[in-house]
Amino acid sequence: MIINTVLLSWVTFVYFLSSIFYILKLVTGKQLPGIIATYISLFGIIVQTIALILRWIESYKLGFGHAPLSNLYESLIFFAWVIVFLYLIIEWRIKSRKLGAFIIPFAFIAMAFASFSPNVKSRIQPLIPALQSNWLISHVISSFLGYAAFTIAFGLALMYFLKGDEREREKGFFPRILPSKDILDELSYQSIVMGFIFLTLGIITGSVWAYSAWGSYWSWDPKETWSLITWLIYATILHSRFVRGWRGKRMAIMSMIGFASVLFTYFGVNYLPGLHSYF
Amino acid sequence: MLSKIKNLFISFFSSLKLTIVLLLIIAIVSILGTVIPQGVDVSGKIESDLVNTCKFLQLFDVYHSLWFILLMVLLSLNLIVCSLKTAPAAWKLYSIIPSPDRKKPFENLPLDRTLRLQKDKDQVIGIVKNILSKKYKRFRKKDSDEITFMYGEKGAFSHFGIYIIHMSILIIIAGAIVGSLMGFEGIMNIPEGESSNIARLVRHNKVKKFDFTVRCDAFSIEYYSNGMPKEYRSSLSFIKDNKVAYQGPLLVNHPITFQDIRFYQASYGKMPGGKALLTVKKDDENPNQLTAMQNDSFHFKEEDAAITIKRVEKNFMNIGPAVLIAVQASDANFTFWVIKNLSRLKSQIPGLFEKFPKFDPGSFKPYNFTLTKIEDTYYTGIQLSYDPGVSIVAAGSFIIIIGIFVTFFSSHKKIWVRVEGEGEQVKLSVAGTSSKDPVALQREIHNILKNIKNELGEA
Repeated sequence: MIINTVLLSWVTFVYFLSSIFYILKLVTGKQLPGIIATYISLFGIIVQTIALILRWIESYKLGFGHAPLSNLYESLIFFAWVIVFLYLIIEWRIKSRKLGAFIIPFAFIAMAFASFSPNVKSRIQPLIPALQSNWLISHVISSFLGYAAFTIAFGLALMYFLKGDEREREKGFFPRILPSKDILDELSYQSIVMGFIFLTLGIITGSVWAYSAWGSYWSWDPKETWSLITWLIYATILHSRFVRGWRGKRMAIMSMIGFASVLFTYFGVNYLPGLHSYF
Repeated sequence: MLSKIKNLFISFFSSLKLTIVLLLIIAIVSILGTVIPQGVDVSGKIESDLVNTCKFLQLFDVYHSLWFILLMVLLSLNLIVCSLKTAPAAWKLYSIIPSPDRKKPFENLPLDRTLRLQKDKDQVIGIVKNILSKKYKRFRKKDSDEITFMYGEKGAFSHFGIYIIHMSILIIIAGAIVGSLMGFEGIMNIPEGESSNIARLVRHNKVKKFDFTVRCDAFSIEYYSNGMPKEYRSSLSFIKDNKVAYQGPLLVNHPITFQDIRFYQASYGKMPGGKALLTVKKDDENPNQLTAMQNDSFHFKEEDAAITIKRVEKNFMNIGPAVLIAVQASDANFTFWVIKNLSRLKSQIPGLFEKFPKFDPGSFKPYNFTLTKIEDTYYTGIQLSYDPGVSIVAAGSFIIIIGIFVTFFSSHKKIWVRVEGEGEQVKLSVAGTSSKDPVALQREIHNILKNIKNELGEA
């Protein structure tokens, strides 16, 4: 195995550890586990960044240098990286460590899937002709920023459901430990807006790329179509909030439906015939 | 009656319920399109009620079906009517500047928004006026007997963000319509060395003839050491009026545009047979090289004879590459094989030419043929498209990004300042409202207070 994949499989455990400490923080309500969790995540993302840079350099040594964003393995690693990156920004901005328990585990799952699934090949491979484009980097980065933001919105929606009835604060376990519904609702809305913006950019950069690679800016390829479906679902969510003032539970349900569509856009589409087969 | 219909029309098309229902229906129909195979020709293949129903509903070509277009039309109408209905209100929010002496913004004002200063009132007013009028183009001031009111605002344009987004979506839909009505997409498969001026259109089962010819001079594939393809390259010449108008390589991700039509490297394939490299030797003369494909003919002047390459076989009867040559001379018509591994065959079968005279490469006297090798020949699969809607769609995509930034990253901030005397002191209060971003408003107000303090030397 090459050093970068070894490092990356270690990062999987780092995020696992960080998840444990975020959960501890949430359950006990104490500060210390949370601070430890933050530092572990920071350590994880730094090591992961180094590993990604090493992998990039490695690909040049193999003679076909390209950014580590070119297959399922690399996309999963990058997905995890973006989740942790966005989460740490949120944590820093809202000055609360309560959300980590429902967000960092997704980074762990993505890393574990990349590192340990027999179907995901970690070898650095050269770029096939269709991927040799300057649009690769901007398209993948904006798409995955979108995916990660929607994942965070999903984590927040989960928390919203577990929170249950706020008036029964004394009785339930989750109502006691989770942040207030207003905060969850507002943050989840902001995540959806971020995700929507980056998904839009991802679709636009993708169609510019398709225009130079496939002969048409839009050819109803399953991945294209599913990204449009996802976009339509989140557009519906934003409209119902803006105009009808939908909040809370309805938003949380729709956010979950949207996330299911994100997952299908990311993974499910590979089981349908299409041009995006390399992702 | 007419106005009733008009009202009904407006209330139907301006409802958000319609928008949500349409967005969801379009999403569901799109899902159908990814599950049911699209663009396949099912006519006459399988006949069943299900297939026929799907065919009737145009489910094998959902995205170009009449009712998908109808959905798009409804969505466009919905967008237009909604926008027209709410635009006047947005215009009011944008254009009407509230009066500076309003009381409501100052109700329940946090304590840190008020300063009590040991300064001259007129000096304070001058400084605040200076700061606000520099910061805000839209600045108003009003003096009453005791109190001076000032007002400034920015970001009023953010009320238009949502209209910019909706307009850009209409532009994109319009571009797509222009493209599908006036554009076309086609496929050309051209073997190496050959030319074509006809493309098979992807839709409608038609062909299109051009006033120019595309010649594929060569096609090549380059591989990485692990066997993955690295590059597909077609060398193309575009010939118009018997002159080469453009010549260049066509690669994936690097299309060629010729006469507004874009050509893409889409696929390739091997031609049946291949390209035979033959050597022809006459007595003691130097040998001639001959490159030939199936059905190629060559004329031999001295003998007044012609040969035709009848077959090019990569593995003829398990003895390897071979070419079948037919000779048409004035006195004879016959065929013979030129086999690459002739010497090996000769050693395996003694007296080969006596048993099989057709295997003698010297059958056509006084020439002797040898087969050097047989190379694969390819055809290149070129996709081509003409789409006059692209620039419209591109403009729409660009505008949607602007619209998103205006909608989500700007807010209409209104700032009121009140300066009044309070005994020996001057009392200054700053209040404000924001259309959506309370955090940014707070920052704005704090900056103003800080600027005022700095200017007064009270920092």
